[in-house]
Amino acid sequence: MKTRSFVSFVAPSVACMLILIALPLLGVGYLALYQSHVKTELVEVTTEVPLFGSQTRKQTRNIPQPVLDESGNPIQVWEFVGTRNLEKAAAIDGLAQAFSDPRDDSGESWIGSLYREITNYEFWGALEFTLLYTFATTPAILVIGLGLALAVNSVTERLRGSLVFATLLPMIVTPVVSSLAIFWMFLDSGVVTAMIEWLGFGKFYFLADQITTRSVIILYGVWWAAPFAFIILYAGLQTLPSEPLESAMIDGANEWQRLRYVILPHLSPLMTVIALIHIMDAYRVFEPILVFNSSVYANSVQYLTFYTLGFEDNVHKAAAYSILTIIGVVILLVPVLRQSFRDYRPVQ
Amino acid sequence: MRERRPLWLKAATGAGLWVWVFVAVFPFFWMFLLSFRTPVDAFASPPELFAPMTLENFRHIWVEDQFWRFGINTAIVTLATVAVSLTIGCLAGYALARYRGRLGLWLLVSALVFRALPHVVLLTAYKPAFFQMGIWSRYETLIMVLVAVNQPFTIWMMRAFFMSIPKDLDEAAMTDGCSRWKAFRLVIVPVMWPGVITAGLFAFLLAYNDFLIASQLMNGEMTTMTAALGNYMGQNRSMDRLMHGIAGAVSVVVPIIILIFVFQRQIVAGMTAGAVKG
Repeated sequence: MKTRSFVSFVAPSVACMLILIALPLLGVGYLALYQSHVKTELVEVTTEVPLFGSQTRKQTRNIPQPVLDESGNPIQVWEFVGTRNLEKAAAIDGLAQAFSDPRDDSGESWIGSLYREITNYEFWGALEFTLLYTFATTPAILVIGLGLALAVNSVTERLRGSLVFATLLPMIVTPVVSSLAIFWMFLDSGVVTAMIEWLGFGKFYFLADQITTRSVIILYGVWWAAPFAFIILYAGLQTLPSEPLESAMIDGANEWQRLRYVILPHLSPLMTVIALIHIMDAYRVFEPILVFNSSVYANSVQYLTFYTLGFEDNVHKAAAYSILTIIGVVILLVPVLRQSFRDYRPVQ
Repeated sequence: MRERRPLWLKAATGAGLWVWVFVAVFPFFWMFLLSFRTPVDAFASPPELFAPMTLENFRHIWVEDQFWRFGINTAIVTLATVAVSLTIGCLAGYALARYRGRLGLWLLVSALVFRALPHVVLLTAYKPAFFQMGIWSRYETLIMVLVAVNQPFTIWMMRAFFMSIPKDLDEAAMTDGCSRWKAFRLVIVPVMWPGVITAGLFAFLLAYNDFLIASQLMNGEMTTMTAALGNYMGQNRSMDRLMHGIAGAVSVVVPIIILIFVFQRQIVAGMTAGAVKG
């Protein structure tokens, strides 16, 4: 294909991505370097203040009022602040403090108390759980996905369709709804809590404690993403050539040896792909944090930015968090990008 | 040849599969049951499997809370998003599958980076800009934003699909004197529909499942069903409100379940296309 026709074919798509993805990324960088506020001026305002009875007194005070432009809108003042927003968002001063603080408190290790102090800062706390979630769910979905793929592959053809249907549910259903479905089960009077109590294990308050909240969210993540690993690995099993398996059987390899020396090597490139895609998706975890309203116990980088933008309405702080988030994405993507450049074989 | 598996392995496989199916389906099954109950029955202890059924929750959310408005918004936004992203994604995917230069690689890699971006990063820039331009809370805005965040995935998927169509097909047409554009229209378009349906499903899912973007870019009345569920979240809500939320969640999920039922094969094909083929 000639470059010229290539360009004309991709133009609409590229234009769309440039205007609505690339340009906003620059915009975020710009927002992060500025602070803005509504321009105000002191205006003398005279009011009548009641004294007692029917007597009043005139009172004149200087009250800050927004300055309006010709069309009656308040004027915004933008001030360049350099990296100040970013430093605040990353709590650079706090980090320096945390490292230089003397630590002789008994019982707690140096690392432990440093860790606690650092994760007390909003961003680092959110990053902590985001990474915990990402790296706790990744191995779990690989193991469960592999188990499911092998199991479904061994049942009769007739059952496979319904098994795949059931498996697709957690990952295809709207994440907000699937988070809610799990959330309602773990409410103080939800079905899981009530069952545990009924079986005599006592009353659990899953959503009122850090460890249980985090565990439920991580379990949700595994439940949500394991089907993805399953589908990919199951498809991989269908492409497994039969000769190596048969010759392994003739050589007397048992079930485990066949898995270890024939099946796993065949699937391992797929497992890398699953891990990489899942890491990208898990880094964006948002819905369960929102639904469980768990930001105190378990926050995520994306939820923190969402909250700053939507509830605190602080665009510049949100932009600073966004920049830190992007840095994280880039770090996570380095291995993927190297792989793509290495593997890229243009059509011959 | 197929060796007989040991009995214990068969039993373990069967048990494992049943446990998984239960775990995968139960939360949704339970949500369905709850949506037809009164709060007292829904959160009874010990939990009840059978309880009197009522349609009150659905009546309230659809009639009094006017959930149908959000349903209409969802229909407009998702259908338009699918149409636009397929149109431009097809062209780009086809070109990427047939082009040999480095430019293609750069486009694909940037698409990969864009796909990994958390959407809230983009929202941070959209919100002030769209307010300033006066295009906040409009269908067109939400549709174009969803199309854009969907493009990276669509072009990767369409590229994988077009690469599986032999390039002799369109090149034969071109040696017969067609232009590239005419060859695409006459030769490729008639055979591309399976890939388009798959990519369309994923575009639909992205637009339908999105909470974050719709909740920030649309105001109360203009929002989609999924984002409207936000009205029913939070811990300080009354039990009645909670039950309405459950009915709302069930309403959102029914179309998706029908979709999985009808298009299961295409969904599986689409998920594997990206990962297995490259």
